Amino acid sequence: MIKYIAQRVLALLITLFIILTIAFLVIRLMPGSIYDSNEMLSADMVKILEDKYHLNDPLLVQYRYFLEDILLHWDWGTSVAVQPRVPVWEVLASKIPITLQLNFVSLLISLPIGILAGIFAAIYQNTKVDYTISFFVVVFISVPSFIFATVLQYFLAYKLGWFPIIYNATATGAAKYLSMILPITALSFSPIARVTRYLRGELIENLSSEYMLLARTKGLTRLQATVRHSMRNSFVPLANIIIPMFTNILTGSLVVEQIFSVAGVGGLLVESINSSDHTLTIAILIFYSMISLLTILIVDLSYGIIDPRVRIGGGSNG
Amino acid sequence: MSEKILQVKDLTVSFSSYAGQVHAVRDISFDLCRGETLAIVGESGSGKSVTTKAILGILPGNGTIEGGEILYNGMDLAKCSDKEFESVRGKKISLVFQDPLSALNPIMKIGKQIMEALVLSKAATKGEAKERALELMRRVGIPQPEIRFNQYPFQFSGGMRQRIVIAIALACNPEILICDEPTTALDVTIQAQILELINEIKERNNLSIIFITHDLGVVANVADRVAVMYAGKIVEFGRSEEIFYDPKNPYTWALLSSMPDLDTKEQLFSIPGTPPNMLHPPAGDAFHERNQYALKIDTREAPPFFKVSDTHYAATWLLDPRAPKVEPPRVLRERIERMKRRAAEHAGQ
Repeated sequence: MIKYIAQRVLALLITLFIILTIAFLVIRLMPGSIYDSNEMLSADMVKILEDKYHLNDPLLVQYRYFLEDILLHWDWGTSVAVQPRVPVWEVLASKIPITLQLNFVSLLISLPIGILAGIFAAIYQNTKVDYTISFFVVVFISVPSFIFATVLQYFLAYKLGWFPIIYNATATGAAKYLSMILPITALSFSPIARVTRYLRGELIENLSSEYMLLARTKGLTRLQATVRHSMRNSFVPLANIIIPMFTNILTGSLVVEQIFSVAGVGGLLVESINSSDHTLTIAILIFYSMISLLTILIVDLSYGIIDPRVRIGGGSNG
Repeated sequence: MSEKILQVKDLTVSFSSYAGQVHAVRDISFDLCRGETLAIVGESGSGKSVTTKAILGILPGNGTIEGGEILYNGMDLAKCSDKEFESVRGKKISLVFQDPLSALNPIMKIGKQIMEALVLSKAATKGEAKERALELMRRVGIPQPEIRFNQYPFQFSGGMRQRIVIAIALACNPEILICDEPTTALDVTIQAQILELINEIKERNNLSIIFITHDLGVVANVADRVAVMYAGKIVEFGRSEEIFYDPKNPYTWALLSSMPDLDTKEQLFSIPGTPPNMLHPPAGDAFHERNQYALKIDTREAPPFFKVSDTHYAATWLLDPRAPKVEPPRVLRERIERMKRRAAEHAGQ
C-alpha cells in the first residue's frame, strides 16, 4: 500500500511539473509583456521588473530562473497589475474562501437531490417518473452552467427581482446568503444530473443482478434487498465520481463567478490574463491543477479503502 | 407414494414483450412428495426456470401467472401477495442458483450473507446466527469456516461459492430446495462433489428437491422422478428408471440419444431444428416439426397424457391404440441395454 501511495504521489509531482512547464511557456509566449497594462511605469521600474524576471534572457534561461525561484525560495513572484507588489499566493489566498464556499455548497446540495432522483428513476424504471427525470438529466448535462446562470439572472433576478442580480460581497447575514443562491443554483444543475444519471445506471444494473435475486429468495423483503444489496453496491462507485465532480464544478465556476461578479478565484484568473499579470496567472493555473490532481489522488486511494476487492485483492492478484 | 408437499396444477405463465405475449409455461401440472428429488429436464427455453421462479414468486416484472395453482401447505402461491410470500420464500422454499459467480454480493462478507436472512427475519440473534452460519459452512464442506466467515466472494473458487450459495439456501431450514442448474457453471469434477453434497444434505435435512437441469447425466445421479419439458409443457414424467429405461415420448428419445457417452461409436445424435418461438406456439404437438416420428394428428391436436404405468405418463399420440407401433431408435435401444447391464453389474458387486 505504501509503495502504491508513493507511486501515485510521484506521478502527481511529475504531472504537476509538466503542467508548470506548459503554463510557463504558453504564458511567456503570449503577445505583450507584464508591464503593458501599466502605462505609467518609469524606465527604472521597467528595468527592475526586467531584471527580476530576467526578461532579456532567452526563454530557457528564464525558465531556469523561474524554477530556481520556486524550488529554492518558494518564490512565485508578485502580482504586477491586479494587486501590485503583493505576493501572488497572498492575492490568491484572499479569493479562495468564497470560491470554495460556492463550490462546496453546490456539491452538498447536488448530492442528496441527485441521489434521490437517481433512486426514483431506477426504481420506477421506464415509467413516466423515469422519463421525466431522464429528460431533465439530459437538459442539465448538455446545457453549460453559464447559460443557466444568465437565464436565472435574467428571469429571477432582473425580471422578477427575487434575488440580487450580482453577488453582494459587502453585505452580511441573510442578504449575503440571498445573493449566493443564484450562482450556487447555476453551478448545481450539472452535478445533480451527473449523480442522477450515474446512480440510475448503477442501480438498475444492481437491481437486476443475480445477487439481488438471491437476496430475495433467501427471504429478504423487496425493500431490505434493495437497500442492503442494490443501493449499497451502487454507492461504492458513486463515491468515486463525486470527488472528481468537485473539479468539474470548479471549472464551471470560472465563468459563473464572472457573471455574478463574485470576487473569487475564477474572476481573478480572467482578470490576471486580461491585465497580463503573468505570475498571478501561473499561480492560479497551478492552484487549479493541484486541486484536480489531488482529487484524482484521493479517488485512486479511496478505491482501495472502499472496495474490498481492491483492498484485499490488491496485494496478491492485481 | 408419500405425502405431497407441493402441488402445481395447470400452471400457465407468460411474459409480455414488445412483440407480444410469450407463452413460456403452458398448463403444466406436477407434484413433489416429501423427501423425494424431482428432476425437471429440458433444453434452454423450455420453461424450466420460469416454473421455479413462479413457485418462488420472483418472476420478472413483465411475467405474470395467467392461471393455475401452486399449492403449498394450504396456500396458493400463485395468488399470494408479496407480503404473504415473505413467510415462504427462503424460509420454507429456497433456491440454489445456476451461477454462483454472480449470485453472491461481491462486496459483502460471506458470513454476513449467510446470516442476513436469519437476523433480518428476527429468527435469531446475531450471535446465534453466527453460530448457525459457521455450522452451515462446516456442513457444506468449507474448510476453516472461522477464517472464511470474514472473507469476500472473490476469495472463493467457483465450487466453494456454490457451497456457500447452498449454505445460504439452507440457512432458514427450508422444506423444499429448488436447484436451478446448480452444476452447469462448474467443471465436471466439482459437479460431482456438489451433487454428492446436495444428496447428502437432502438425506440429513429430509429435504424435498426440485432439480432443474438440461443434463440427463446429472439427473441419473440425483433424481427419484423425472419430468421432461418441451416448449412450456411437460411431455413425459415418471420414475427415474422408467424415463431412462422405458422412455415413450419421441422428445425424450431424442434427449437420451443426444447424451454423450463413451460407448457410442457413431456420430452423436443431435435434435434437428430449433425449439419453437413461444410468441406463437405451434398448434398440435409443439415438437412435431423436429420429430421424425410425428403423426398427421400431431400437426393439429396436442396429445393428451397416456398412462404407461401408475407412475409413468407420456404425452404422445404414439401411445394411442390406433397409432402405428414405433420402436425407439436403434442407437437408443442399444444404449438402454448397456445402461441396464451396467446397473445390474453395479448391483451385483
